[in-house]
This record gives sequence, structure tokens and C-alpha cells, in this order.
Amino acid sequence: MKKVFLPLLMVSVLAFIPYVGVHYAGLGYLFGVVLPYLAMAVLLGGFLFRMVDWLRRPVPFCIPTTCGQEKSLDWIQQDKLESPSSFLYAAARVLTEVLFFRSLFRNTKAKMHKGPTLAYGSSKWLWLGGLGFHWSLLVIVLRHSRFFLVMVPDSLQLLDEADRFFDITLPAFYLTDALVLATVTFLVLRRLRDSKMQVISLPADFFPLFLIIAIIIAGISMRYVTKVDVMPVKALMLNLVNFGFEPPGEIGTLFYVHLFLVCMLAIYFPFSKLMHSGAIFLSPTRNQCNNSRAKRHSNPWNSAIKFRTYSEYEDDYREKMKKAKLPVDKQ
Amino acid sequence: MIVIGLTFVLSALLYLFLQEGNAEKTIEQPAQYVHHSVSVDSTRCIATKEFMRANHMRVLNEWRNSAVREGDRIYLASNGSKFEKSLNTCLECHKKNRLFCFNCHMYANVKPKCWNCHLSPMETP
Repeated sequence: MKKVFLPLLMVSVLAFIPYVGVHYAGLGYLFGVVLPYLAMAVLLGGFLFRMVDWLRRPVPFCIPTTCGQEKSLDWIQQDKLESPSSFLYAAARVLTEVLFFRSLFRNTKAKMHKGPTLAYGSSKWLWLGGLGFHWSLLVIVLRHSRFFLVMVPDSLQLLDEADRFFDITLPAFYLTDALVLATVTFLVLRRLRDSKMQVISLPADFFPLFLIIAIIIAGISMRYVTKVDVMPVKALMLNLVNFGFEPPGEIGTLFYVHLFLVCMLAIYFPFSKLMHSGAIFLSPTRNQCNNSRAKRHSNPWNSAIKFRTYSEYEDDYREKMKKAKLPVDKQ
Repeated sequence: MIVIGLTFVLSALLYLFLQEGNAEKTIEQPAQYVHHSVSVDSTRCIATKEFMRANHMRVLNEWRNSAVREGDRIYLASNGSKFEKSLNTCLECHKKNRLFCFNCHMYANVKPKCWNCHLSPMETP
């Protein structure tokens, strides 16, 4: 179980660094200003580098994975979304995958029954857990805009109010806080519970999960348990988004733990499996149109072929052909 | 569809549960307001500035619950002095600056529910 405990230890050590750094060494400027800029630079630069790198790779074959009738004769109905033949439907297929995880919805699970009989059944838990996790994270990130914007737009304000719908506890309890914790716990347990999943899981699978859990716990406890003064936090964040270099005010150490772990996640992002967020748009099996019969897909790896036409051949051998009494096109 | 359905069921259950919890509490304690003779001391705050900045919403919430639901209207501060658990105790001093609450709450984009019932310093002359 080294591959589980090593990431756990790494995250614990990471959470401890800003605590020591700010509480004892007084390095508030380093952790509050320098590191966030550095992390953002690495995230944006790294993300861009990897996307451009992937975009430059040639796609040799037309290989969309489809699960529906392709465009054929007029009287055969095409499954336009599952086997898209135009850019619009291919884009719709990618977007529905990104927003609703349609391929995970088809997830099946093999199970041995008495007999022995092997049976395959639908398994929606990963789809539900994954969807809940990703959407909650998105809502949480959007909710954080109140720290980065002077005036929060009405749409985001509405989202925030919807999230506080239950209106219990003070400060008001956010639905997504509970949802993201529940789903991320499920995603960890899923890897630990099943022996097959345990074998294929790597430290790189557990590390981002543990890191995100640590960020969530630090954030939730800052809101509901160990209170932090919000005013200097907003001042610091406004300063950062305006590219200022003012030193941060008096903020609780827990905030620096939260911020540091977010910075670590941002730095880790371009080097990790988290790049699936950008890569899903570039996946050739999903973003291509299934129209290889209507439109030729030329392989960029093929070197240019030098053709020699018949007229060129005849030009070279005309006299010899005439002598041999062979028919020629041009006299 | 499943998610929407689950959300509705969950919210309905939670709502019922909360309603029940609140109902029990109110039946137990028929709140009877007795005006204690506690001088409204507004020369100093009930706690330090740092504590109040981060925790004032909790103090007000506790005051609301214990004063309105349990009828306990006296707050014993950590330094031994007594205060009346009332928003007016705070406002006696803080209403001098009409923007005292709003400055920070607007800045941090936090909307308190105090003014759903109480008159805010902005609304009083």
C-alpha cells in the first residue's frame, strides 16, 4: 500500500510547509504573492505548451470511435451524434462528452454469478460520482470569483445563492461543499475497494485526489470552523489579479495552507493526468468526423509521391515505340 | 434526469427534517421576554477587534438563538462584564458610522440576513 501512503505523506508535508513558513518564519510575502504568480505562470505556460505540442502532432488516420449508424444512403437513418459526419455534430459530441460524460454513462461491470456465469451489467456509479465531482469543482471555482472581482456579475451571484439554497448554518452551508467531499471520497474508495482497481492505480492517481481533498478541507474549515478574516484575503486576491506586489495583510495561517496547496495543484497540473481537461478536446477518436468514405483523409506522414504520367512515358519512348510498331497517342 | 430527481428528493427530505427540528425547539420553550436590567455598555466592544472581524456573525447568530428562542438575554463576556444580547448593543456604538456594516459586506460580497427584519443604520435617520 506504499502507493497510497506515499502520496498521502507528500500532501501532509506540503500542507505543513506554509504553516511553518508563515507561522514561524514569517514568509507571508513568499507564500502570498511570489508563489501564486509562479504557480499561475507554470500552469498557463505548461498548459499552453502541452496543448500546442499536441496540436502540432499529425493525425495519420481517420479513427473516430463511433457507436451508431454512419452517414450512408438516403433511406438509412444516420445516428448524427454517435457517428457524426459534419463538424457541428462532431463538436456537439465532444461537448456532450465534456459536460455530461456520456462515455462513462455506458460503463459496464463484469461480475461472476453462481453457475459460474459471467454477467455484464450497467454500472453508473463512476459516472454519477465523476459528474458530481467535476460539476461541484466548477461551481466552487466560479463561486470563488467573489474574491477576484470587485463586483460579482448577477449570474455568478445567482449561482452562489442557488448553492446556499438550504440556508442552514452560519455562514450559509454550500451544497457543493458536501457534494464535492462525498464524491471525492467515493473516487478514492473506488480505487481502494476493488482489487482490480487497486492494481491499476498509481501514486499519480492518488496524489491529485489527496491534494484536492486537502484543499477542500482547508477551505471548508476556513469557512465554517477556524475563521479567517475575509477582508485582507480579498485585498490580497484583488492585488494579485491586478498584477500588484503589495504585501498581504494579517491573514490566518490556514488561508496560506489553502493557497499553497492550490498553487501546488496549479504547478502539478501541466505535468499530470489532470491535463485530460485540455486533452479531451484533442482526442482524435472523438473529435474527428466519421466521413472517411466521402472525404479522403491524407496522412501527413506520407512523403510526396512522384508520379510519371503515360504521356511523359510516351514522350521518352516515342521513337522506339514507332519502330516496334506500337500504337502511340501523339505522332 | 437522475441527478435532478435526486436533488429534489434530497432537498425535500432535508427541508422536512429541518422544519421538524425547528418546530420542536419552539414548542419546548414558550419564549417569554423579560427585560433584564443590564446596562447597555457601549464604551467598549464585547471582544477584541481581531476576534470580532472573523467571528461577529457567529456571535450574532448565537445571540439570536439564545435570546429569541431561550429567552436568555444576558451575555457574559470573557473579561467578566455583562452585555445585553441585542443588535442594539452593537449598533449603539457602531451606527455612528452608517456604512460600518456595509463597507466590508459590499467589498467581500457577503449579504447578511440581519436587515430582513431589523432596520439597518442606513434606514434609520
